[in-house]
Amino acid sequence: MSNKLPILMADDDADDRFLVQAAFEDNDLSHPIIFFEDGEQLLDYLSTPELIPNLIFLDLNMPKRDGREVLKVLRNNNRWNNTPIIIFSTSNAPDDVNTSYALGANCYIVKPSSYEELKTLVWSIHRFWLQTSVAS
Amino acid sequence: MKLSTFNLLNRTLSEQQFALITRFLFGTSLILIIALSYSYNEINQELINYSEKVSQTQEVISGLKEVSSALYETTYHANTFVFLKDTAYINKTLAAAKTIPLLTSRIDTLIKANPPQIKRLSALKKHAEGFGIYTEKLLKYGSTVNPAIVYALYKKKNAEIDSMVKLVADMNNVEDQLMHTRVRSRDNYMQQVFRYNWIIMLVAVVFLSSAFVLLDRELKRNKFYRVDLENKIENLNRSNSELEQFAYVASHDLQEPLRKIRSFSDRLISKYQQEVSDEVYQMLTKIDGSAQRMQHLINDLLSFSRIVKTGSESKLINLNTALADAKSNLSEMILENKASIHNESLPSIEGYGSQMVQLFQNLISNSIKYRKENQRPVIRITHRLVNGEIIPGIQPSHEDIQFHQIKINDNGIGFKKEFSEKIFIIFKRLHGRNEFAGTGIGLAICKRVVSNHNGYIFAESIEGEGANFYIYLPAESMLS
Repeated sequence: MSNKLPILMADDDADDRFLVQAAFEDNDLSHPIIFFEDGEQLLDYLSTPELIPNLIFLDLNMPKRDGREVLKVLRNNNRWNNTPIIIFSTSNAPDDVNTSYALGANCYIVKPSSYEELKTLVWSIHRFWLQTSVAS
Repeated sequence: MKLSTFNLLNRTLSEQQFALITRFLFGTSLILIIALSYSYNEINQELINYSEKVSQTQEVISGLKEVSSALYETTYHANTFVFLKDTAYINKTLAAAKTIPLLTSRIDTLIKANPPQIKRLSALKKHAEGFGIYTEKLLKYGSTVNPAIVYALYKKKNAEIDSMVKLVADMNNVEDQLMHTRVRSRDNYMQQVFRYNWIIMLVAVVFLSSAFVLLDRELKRNKFYRVDLENKIENLNRSNSELEQFAYVASHDLQEPLRKIRSFSDRLISKYQQEVSDEVYQMLTKIDGSAQRMQHLINDLLSFSRIVKTGSESKLINLNTALADAKSNLSEMILENKASIHNESLPSIEGYGSQMVQLFQNLISNSIKYRKENQRPVIRITHRLVNGEIIPGIQPSHEDIQFHQIKINDNGIGFKKEFSEKIFIIFKRLHGRNEFAGTGIGLAICKRVVSNHNGYIFAESIEGEGANFYIYLPAESMLS
């Protein structure tokens, strides 16, 4: 078993998916990232047993099932209770931030407006969330 | 609804005319009513006077009648005695006779003001005395004495009676005539009283009606203005909220593609910098630079739109605290540029705290930013109370109000006098992007904050010699 568990990302914006992928690559991080276009796809994927992702990136506003719903479902399920979930959204509205944390998100990040920032962000996420989880 | 609907007699009244008319109406009505009431009072007095006099005359007439009755009664009893020789009639005679002086003295008081009547009355009294004496004599001698003497006594007594009857008749005539004239006067005054009643009532009615008409007009006009004002306020509120929505949505939706532009051009630059020509690199950098600038502009527009709406309730704000907060927000900038800020004690005003912090922050950061090269920025903030009339372009209704004048002076590069109003326009700048950073929203925000507080802001400067910013805030809030 590879010690690099997959990272899951649900975002309806193809560009953002691309940019995150690029940021991981440019940081020379080789975590497998699996992308989904909406919350429903992500939840369907997770219904397969024995699947434990390392980290989940969730956009808030997606069609079908949005980030909040996914968050609720995941936190209500014992299997996913301890998986780190990062909300990754364009919105900086305090309401969205508060709701996300209240629903159990571990982190709320507003999508940065420059690529350099995104790269740095991905690197620090890797350092904290991914290295530590690998170690455990 | 046009104002012309409320014309009275096809004329509109200006506020001044209206004030004059109401004053005139009120003044003349007041004077008229007072004068008329005074005359009315006098006439009433006269009416009472004559009514009393009429009663008086009536009393004299009835008094005289009583004297006549007493006279005849006495004579009747005396004659009966003489004829029937019945001694019982002696007392009756005497009793009747006694009343005559009483009756005449009662008349005394009633005719005090009338000398001829007084003379007649004393003549009457004298004759009454004589009558009394002869009657007594008749009673004494009536049955025993010589008929010739009785006859003589009778003659004398009758003479007195005749005189008295004549005097009474005369007095009656006089009183009758008096009564007639007095009744006429009384009736005359009574008519006048009624007439004055009507006049006063008419004046009061005219005054009240015109006052009512004018008041009604004014109330209608006020209502019209009020409704108009409420409509305008509602429109304003609606367009403010639409503006805010628009600004928020626009900026939010505009930020999205901008973010992509920046992210992708950024990535291009960082990933392919080595592989592209300098020219391509330059262009990519320019694309990214423009996108960045656009982001700043949109963010600033968003900040500005948030200031337009005042949102929360106004409170008492200590401006010293607001200034301290602004300084603390700028602490890095102040430290880096070694700026020194001197301020006097500032007052407290009714307002919105966060906006005042923004106001001071923008002004101070400008003063530091536009400093002279190689010179430490020195900022002085002073305060004094002034009268509204010294403020240029002040609304006439604000002239009498007191304002706090807060002056922010710096030793920076200043600006030309002709730009002193331009600089408050959104995104208006006096320097290129390369000379000084910024989007030019700072002073527009300052102006908006100040006008949210019903105040004024002015800038004054000489190029190269620093700048003064004057903030005027009403000493007494008009915000609630």
